[in-house]
Amino acid sequence: MSPTAVLYVAQAIHGLAYGMLLFLVASGLTMIFGMMGILNIAHASFAMLSAYFCYQVLLMTGNFWMALLIAPVLAGICGVLTERFLLRTVHKQGHLAELLITVGIMAVILEIVKFFWGTESLVVKIPQSLSGLVNFAGLTYPIYRLFVIGLSTVVLGFMALILFKTRLGKIVRAAVSDADMVSALGINTPLVFMLVFGIGIWLAGVAGAVAGPLLTVFPGMADQLGMDAFVVVVVGGFGSLGGAFIVALFLGELNAYGIQFIPRLAPVLMFAFMAIVLAFKPMGLFGERE
Amino acid sequence: MRNKLYKWILWLVIFIILAVFPRVFGIYYTNFFVGFTIFALYAVTLNLLLGYMGVLSFGHAMFFGTGAYATAIALTHIQGFPLLPAVLVGGVAGGLLALILSPLLVRVSGTAFAMLTLAFGQLIFVLALKYREVTGGEDGIGGYSVPPLNIPGVVSIDMTDQINFYYFAITVIVVCLLILWFYTKTPFGSLVVGVRDNAMRMDYLGFNLPQTKAINLIVCGAFAGIAGSVHALLMKLVSTVGVLDIGTSFAPIMMAYIGGVGSFFGPIIGSGVFHLLEDLVIRFTERIGLVNGAIFILVVLFVPMGLVGLFNAAKAKWFH
Repeated sequence: MSPTAVLYVAQAIHGLAYGMLLFLVASGLTMIFGMMGILNIAHASFAMLSAYFCYQVLLMTGNFWMALLIAPVLAGICGVLTERFLLRTVHKQGHLAELLITVGIMAVILEIVKFFWGTESLVVKIPQSLSGLVNFAGLTYPIYRLFVIGLSTVVLGFMALILFKTRLGKIVRAAVSDADMVSALGINTPLVFMLVFGIGIWLAGVAGAVAGPLLTVFPGMADQLGMDAFVVVVVGGFGSLGGAFIVALFLGELNAYGIQFIPRLAPVLMFAFMAIVLAFKPMGLFGERE
Repeated sequence: MRNKLYKWILWLVIFIILAVFPRVFGIYYTNFFVGFTIFALYAVTLNLLLGYMGVLSFGHAMFFGTGAYATAIALTHIQGFPLLPAVLVGGVAGGLLALILSPLLVRVSGTAFAMLTLAFGQLIFVLALKYREVTGGEDGIGGYSVPPLNIPGVVSIDMTDQINFYYFAITVIVVCLLILWFYTKTPFGSLVVGVRDNAMRMDYLGFNLPQTKAINLIVCGAFAGIAGSVHALLMKLVSTVGVLDIGTSFAPIMMAYIGGVGSFFGPIIGSGVFHLLEDLVIRFTERIGLVNGAIFILVVLFVPMGLVGLFNAAKAKWFH
């Protein structure tokens, strides 16, 4: 391949890796919104929390794989506790109160993170087996990014299997379209809500943990991941998983090529894209409701 | 009759407190007080959207910050720019931003409105961060001096004197608050509340919904811009993290909620509580965000109607 083509392909893979990470965060966000009507402002904060957990476990055990396994689960547990003790309490007050609770949680998580780990950027070391470069067809590419793409694909494939092939998945999909009806059919929707919230946070946690070595772990991480994930959810349409998938990949590529061609405008491109989409489709590309 | 008398006494007391405040409390608390009133105005404009129109503006800092930047840029680049136009420029800039965004914002409500405003707030934040020729990037704009208040042929008051500035800032903000107070009492103000309570009915009655929402949005943007402008004059420094960041967007939400959403004076009380709390907490710990966040969560959990709501409930229970 010619050097230019190599560059384009490298950027495309960069974009794919970031897009997959975005979708990991956004899928939980859009599912929680679709089911419970809660816009979880703190979603990316949990991802950040997971990245810090990952750093801490790695520091204590020295085993990256164990850190990758434990950190998202810890974040998920935090999510479940949040849902059970905070969100469920204000559920009867309406969506606004739930939204505001998540704002408070975001502020608290940010401060907790600063308190325990300080404000500087922390570097998460990746193990030998993932740190090298790989050669194929004249292209040298860092293995870790390929690993991110692979891991995200596996996790998302697994989630898709659960969502579309199991009874639980059927209940969740039904609850996304009409939670009251599902509840009327005798299904314990609060339990399902709690579960979905936990899984959503877990997915975000996986994203946060694997993003740690890519972005470095710092208190502004939640803002960066969070805003991008919100744009994905808004543009893809609230509650639409397919929409979120397409938009996440598109934004990943937009971001990668934007950085290459117009570095200064790259962060703005995304919002411009969102404004254009919303000007014509206020409910997002694949959304069915506001 | 007696009620009216009480009201006049209350106004008189407030006026006297405002007048003698800098003489009694010293310069630190004078600036502290100006900060409180700036955020009171800012939180009131947020509440005009949240409490009166029923939509949550999550990126309200974009209006505040645009106003602050407009004033700072005007004072830096234009030699001898007078004081009152400097404040007006902030209001116009905030209103203009609201006007530009209104075609998109009036089409959505509920969570989508919150998301859109959040996203636009971030867009403005990133733009201000990247275009450092205009905004100074992360360092912001500083070093401009506050021009004297000139009334041609009558008087010229030096605004670098902090006590003079206090009276100027308080006058601007009180006038703005009064304008907003009367604004909510006009038929148009009632129309805005009607849109919140039953938009479809307002539509059937023949009112133009998008226009109503847009005008309210522009009013809020303009007055938030004025608040930002006075903030820029007080701090003599405008930087992205100080006036445009997400914390600046969330602060008025917390104030409005703590004070009481839907009551005009709630956010003012909320701003006071918020500032006093901050002043108190900072003596013991650096973790202001943690304390604020925790208190905010507790308020949402247990006092959803805020302090004004709590006061009204107590009054209803004990005095009737």
